[in-house]
Amino acid sequence: MAVKKLIKIWLMYTSRALQSDLLTTWAGVLFIIGKIVRFLLFFIFLFVILSAVKDLAGYNREQVIFFFLIFNLVDVIVQFLFRGVYHFRPLVVSGEYDLDLLKPLPSFFRPIFSHTDLADFVTLVPLWGYFLWFVFINHLFRGMGDLILFCLLLVNALILGFAFHLLVCAVCVLTTEIDHLVWVYRDLTSMARFPTDIYFKWVQYLLTFTIPVIILFTVPAKALLGLLSWPWVILALVISGLFLWGSLRFWRFALSKYSSASS
Amino acid sequence: MRKYLQLAKLTFQEYFVYRLNFYLWRFRSLVFFLTLIFFWLAIYGDRLDLFGYQKAQMLTYVVGIAFLRTIVLGSRSADLAMQVRSGQLTKFLLQPIRVIKFWFTRDVVDKLINLFFVVLEIALILWLLNFSLYLPQSLTTYFSFVVLSLMAIFLYFFISFFLSVVAFWTEEIWATRWLFGIIFLEFLAGAYFPLDVLPSWLTKIIYLTPFPYLVFFPMKLWLEQLTTHQTAQAFLICFIWLIFFWWLSGFLWKKGVRNYQAYGG
Repeated sequence: MAVKKLIKIWLMYTSRALQSDLLTTWAGVLFIIGKIVRFLLFFIFLFVILSAVKDLAGYNREQVIFFFLIFNLVDVIVQFLFRGVYHFRPLVVSGEYDLDLLKPLPSFFRPIFSHTDLADFVTLVPLWGYFLWFVFINHLFRGMGDLILFCLLLVNALILGFAFHLLVCAVCVLTTEIDHLVWVYRDLTSMARFPTDIYFKWVQYLLTFTIPVIILFTVPAKALLGLLSWPWVILALVISGLFLWGSLRFWRFALSKYSSASS
Repeated sequence: MRKYLQLAKLTFQEYFVYRLNFYLWRFRSLVFFLTLIFFWLAIYGDRLDLFGYQKAQMLTYVVGIAFLRTIVLGSRSADLAMQVRSGQLTKFLLQPIRVIKFWFTRDVVDKLINLFFVVLEIALILWLLNFSLYLPQSLTTYFSFVVLSLMAIFLYFFISFFLSVVAFWTEEIWATRWLFGIIFLEFLAGAYFPLDVLPSWLTKIIYLTPFPYLVFFPMKLWLEQLTTHQTAQAFLICFIWLIFFWWLSGFLWKKGVRNYQAYGG
């Protein structure tokens, strides 16, 4: 019942975000064009490079492009769902967030879910279509077991994405700083645009245990390719669980320090 | 002149007020730089030559990206668009300063501060990863590189000013800048990878735009991969684009200021 209510409220938020976006249709069109152009230019770049060198860190051209597609899929889904974070700072600075704390909703609901991005949704649909076509045409799909594991780890990645965005919101409550932190997250995650095996071991450790970019992108990709061992599956679930737990604790701590200074 | 020096001093102090923002910005630049370095190291592996670049030349190109992103693409003039939309521009129009010089001064300070840090970062990475850079043999190359980079700085400033001035006519300032000033500009400038790794039909089209003269051609010059004829051509085309954007930004600025209604101000 509670989940049903939250979904209903999320749909209302989404509808309002859509109405707001439609007021500046031209901006939306420019953003969609930009996302498509960026994707295509990176795609052409990878295709050309991998056609010449044949492999990158032991992966062939199709596998590298597969990692790139998974990166884009997870990244766009996370942006689509958690775009509200980009709109949170004005609420804190103006003190308007007080009003949300009075509502019978989880305190993180509006900061995270208040602005679902339609431009991301528009790019997500053809991206999924192309991804499925690419996987089947290149015989990268190995069996139902891998598919189920991929779906599980994709959900796990989204939980991790949620936890990270919540952490950013908590920092925002404490410092009113958010923009650069979100962009730091975006830059770090973009390291997974390529297979993360290209990085030195110590960088891979950092990307697994501090800001778990590898759990977000590389682990689901490897699961579908049938290259993931069970210890990695367990590690991915444990890290996400710990990250979520830590983020929720930190969020509660940040809220206890919220002073509503500007209201 | 003295008032612009004072402005430079104030801008400099501003960076040390918002220190966290600045550190995070530097961290982001470092992550970007490291990602490219690791990517090309993995691509080369044991190979010495690829796409017409020796390994040292490609790694130098990546270091050059970090350097030229700072001194050419580092800019504050994007904030002008916000001033136009919010009406804050009125204050500057009433003051005895020229807005274009105001923003150029702030740009120069931004470039100088970031340059200091990027040099440290590059030195650190070179020391940690222990690879050698390609250094030109001829003094003329150093001189040409400096001149073309200076032209690139002015060219980028006028492109950025032009994108900001568009705010007089449209509310979609961030979307416009994101598409043309970040996505198109950075890719087509060669600020991710050398453009000549792309198919030649595509590079021929890209060379006609102003963007490759911001990063790609200065780096090709540094790597001594341009003939005298190509160097002269690069200088000429860059100069033509520079004159064009200088004229266009000035023309639109004058027209925009006349239309400016300062709503929100």
